Amino acid sequence: MGKFIGKSIKRREDARFLTGKGKYTDDIKLPNMAHAAFVRSPYAHARILNVDTTAAKIAEGVVAVYTAADGPGDYGVPCGWQVNFKNGDTMREPQHPLLAKGKVRHVGEPVAIVIAESLALARDAAELVDVEYEELPAVTNPKAAMQAGAPLVHDDFPDNAAFDWCIGNDRAEVEAALDNAYHVTELEFINQRLAPNAIEPRSYIADYDVNGDKWTLYTSTQNPHLIRLLLCAFVLGIPEHKVRVVSYDVGGGFGSKIYHYIEEALLTWVSKQIARPVKWTADRSEAFLMDAHGRDHVVKSKMGFDKEGNIVAHLTDEYCSMGAYLSTFAPAVPTYLHGTLFQGLYKTPLIHVNVTAPFTHTCSVDAYRGAGRPEATYLIERLVSKGAKEMGMDPAEIRYKNFIPPFDGVNQPGYQTQVALQYDSGNYAPVLEKALEAIGYEDFRKEQEAARKEGKLLGLGISTWIEGCGIAPSAVVGALGARAGLYEVGHVRVQPTGKVSVYTGAHSHGQGHETVFAQFVADKLGIPMDDVEIVHGDTEQVAFGMGTYGSRSLAVGGSAIIKSIDKVLEKGAKIAAHKLEAAVEDLEYAEGKWTVKGTDKSIAFGDVSLTAYVPHDYPEGLEPGLDFSSFYDPSNFTFPFGAHLAIVEVCAETGKVTIKRFVTCDDVGNIMNPMIVDGQIHGGVVQGIGQALLEEVVYDESGQMITGSYMDYAMPRADNVPMIETHNTVTPCPHNPLGAKGAGEAGTIGSTPAVVNAVIDALWHLGVKDIQMPLTPQRVWKAMNQN
Amino acid sequence: MKISGKYVMDAPVEKVWKMINDPGVLEKITPGVKRLISKGDDQYEAVSEVKIGPVRGRFEGALHLKDKEEQQRMVVALDQKSRMGNALAEIGIQLHPLEDGQTEIHYTGDVKMSGMLGRMGQRIIGGVVSTLSKQFFAALTELIQKEEEE
Repeated sequence: MGKFIGKSIKRREDARFLTGKGKYTDDIKLPNMAHAAFVRSPYAHARILNVDTTAAKIAEGVVAVYTAADGPGDYGVPCGWQVNFKNGDTMREPQHPLLAKGKVRHVGEPVAIVIAESLALARDAAELVDVEYEELPAVTNPKAAMQAGAPLVHDDFPDNAAFDWCIGNDRAEVEAALDNAYHVTELEFINQRLAPNAIEPRSYIADYDVNGDKWTLYTSTQNPHLIRLLLCAFVLGIPEHKVRVVSYDVGGGFGSKIYHYIEEALLTWVSKQIARPVKWTADRSEAFLMDAHGRDHVVKSKMGFDKEGNIVAHLTDEYCSMGAYLSTFAPAVPTYLHGTLFQGLYKTPLIHVNVTAPFTHTCSVDAYRGAGRPEATYLIERLVSKGAKEMGMDPAEIRYKNFIPPFDGVNQPGYQTQVALQYDSGNYAPVLEKALEAIGYEDFRKEQEAARKEGKLLGLGISTWIEGCGIAPSAVVGALGARAGLYEVGHVRVQPTGKVSVYTGAHSHGQGHETVFAQFVADKLGIPMDDVEIVHGDTEQVAFGMGTYGSRSLAVGGSAIIKSIDKVLEKGAKIAAHKLEAAVEDLEYAEGKWTVKGTDKSIAFGDVSLTAYVPHDYPEGLEPGLDFSSFYDPSNFTFPFGAHLAIVEVCAETGKVTIKRFVTCDDVGNIMNPMIVDGQIHGGVVQGIGQALLEEVVYDESGQMITGSYMDYAMPRADNVPMIETHNTVTPCPHNPLGAKGAGEAGTIGSTPAVVNAVIDALWHLGVKDIQMPLTPQRVWKAMNQN
Repeated sequence: MKISGKYVMDAPVEKVWKMINDPGVLEKITPGVKRLISKGDDQYEAVSEVKIGPVRGRFEGALHLKDKEEQQRMVVALDQKSRMGNALAEIGIQLHPLEDGQTEIHYTGDVKMSGMLGRMGQRIIGGVVSTLSKQFFAALTELIQKEEEE
């Protein structure tokens, strides 16, 4: 631990966020800026018979109206990951046009864009665009989409499947083990569709500059460089060096702002047509309809146990929706970010996961905080807890019995799972021990018994989770179908005065990079934090980057910065040795200065940097300057893990669930700033509670979204959440220089099954074995009263 | 979205039946209706303007009175389009004579909505439908009273 690493230093960025001075895309107002409004499909599936823009074009303040006939971006937006069929057939990849051509395939799909002098005028004129549709039958459930006779989303794809996929051991072997198991636990459920709900809606300004034939795209994205690459090379065919993508402050993403959306490509195209800047910011209704959703798996699972409670086999079949079009990372989510986590924390010797991914007449589904891993953890942790109940075992005991023994990845090798991945380091029993101790497990069981006699329904749920993050080794993901590398870039520019500008390809949309990154940079260089500036979110300033998602910023982005710091110190030592007339080997670097070992002769970091830029008295043959950029490609994923415990009370009369306590013990590797890690856990846990108790995107049978506002889509609020009690253990990541594993998604992954397991624990004696999420009072009451 | 309700009219079944089958009357009492053009065979082209809370707009489309059983029941089928979304509805209407010369009207149906109407959710649209039906029956009552006075 240094002066700053490991300290709960308050976030530098909060002063501007909390005083309303953040610089979000919608805050930017450019001179002569026009505004866009979209004409969107009211139908889930319809043939477009005619689009009449005559009235809109002559309406007050209208600059232009465009439809698919005007030919924006011939190729549409691409998908960034290819998962082929099990039989080797290529993934079916529909064209995703910027404006609907011939047919609309989900409610909200844009048919026309109207540009006007103000947002109000654009919206008024959009209402004048007359679209004639022929409504067609729709399918919204992924399993139903695969049944014979289901309406087709894309006429060329006869059974609606985008691909099917499996991983793990031979299916027949797994089935045989289940047949011979002492006990088999089964679950069938839907991991329901969720809307991401970032506070800041997506917002874009495209600014075409005739002088130089250049664009600036201001966009609320999690990965500006990737957007620039996709936009230029794949959608619009613009030379990449002609486009600057800027993403200053972004108000939350949770995955939904990773993807390249049709609106940002379309605005970029429009800006050149009208030779003016043009802005569009989604309203909340558009966010519900268009921001890529999460989850939506129809699941059927079996887990087999021997007499002692050891897991002997696990078989899962799933239908995982892609939505109407393939979003940027959609195919990876239910496959390589999901099936590969089915080992959980357990020694399960035989695992088989089979995934079918159909198109449906709905908004695209892609990564949402946790991305595939919450879905894996939910089903594993529900199966383990249900299995324990059915076999009369304690849910903690069954977990201890099945945990993989400790391995640090240095003295012991990583753990090879049955589902392709190799875990880096792990020590699983202590997180559960610590969490159980904190919650007072033994006492709770007595309290539960006593409460039950008084007619009160208390329950405790356990969930022990693992995730693969810090994505990812480029060669590995490339072999798995990624069309991009997943390294990161860290550029350290030491200014002549010794102040340091750090340019990172990671992107902060609430995580606190400006603070955390400055903490470890200042410590490694032995300089004050105030001397370090973190720059991100601008393709003209940052050389390159893959952005932030999958809890990768510190593990991958941080490591790239460390690589550059190492280069700075290596070169600095040469300059210091010259000035001190000593050999490099005789120097040591500490507290911001190089000292000749065993003497009081030293030179400060700032003097060395000044010498580097004013190289009058300078080592021969050494280049001036102190400025290094590095690419870091990790050698493995990182595997944080933890235990989440919930205590709930279920109201016997109404079925309402109240969470009384929530205790976490997470191991996210080395921690740079405990306050920020706690904040990430808090936010994640609340989102996970949202899925367990409240949230669900519902489409009716005709494909209309009937939960398209906060009146019908229930977000977790302060009164749904208890004080969250956080604890940690530390098992460093053995393969990156900071030993960090990542904390961004942990809360969401661990919390959902803990809450549901707690509710089932409270109701088991009433014959309740499972309840479909979200656990609304109506569903809980119905389950309690079914017998 | 399912809707249902009942209303007691201070008029005999024959009178109520006659009035709700009279396009001139319907045009007058249906809230927001600007025009009701008969296409024959109980088919109409309706143009209405609704302004209740967040639901504001001009609706255009077909209205069809069908499956009629004289003085007992009929079905009102609506297919209305608007800028804020479309509404497709089949509403069954039943008349029951009460002892004191009054008539009880039951209505029950299913409304399918698309676009912004669909997303606004049942809590809002349910309230709007309930307001519209109250206005309808209030106007019908008023008209019956007026005719009696004349």
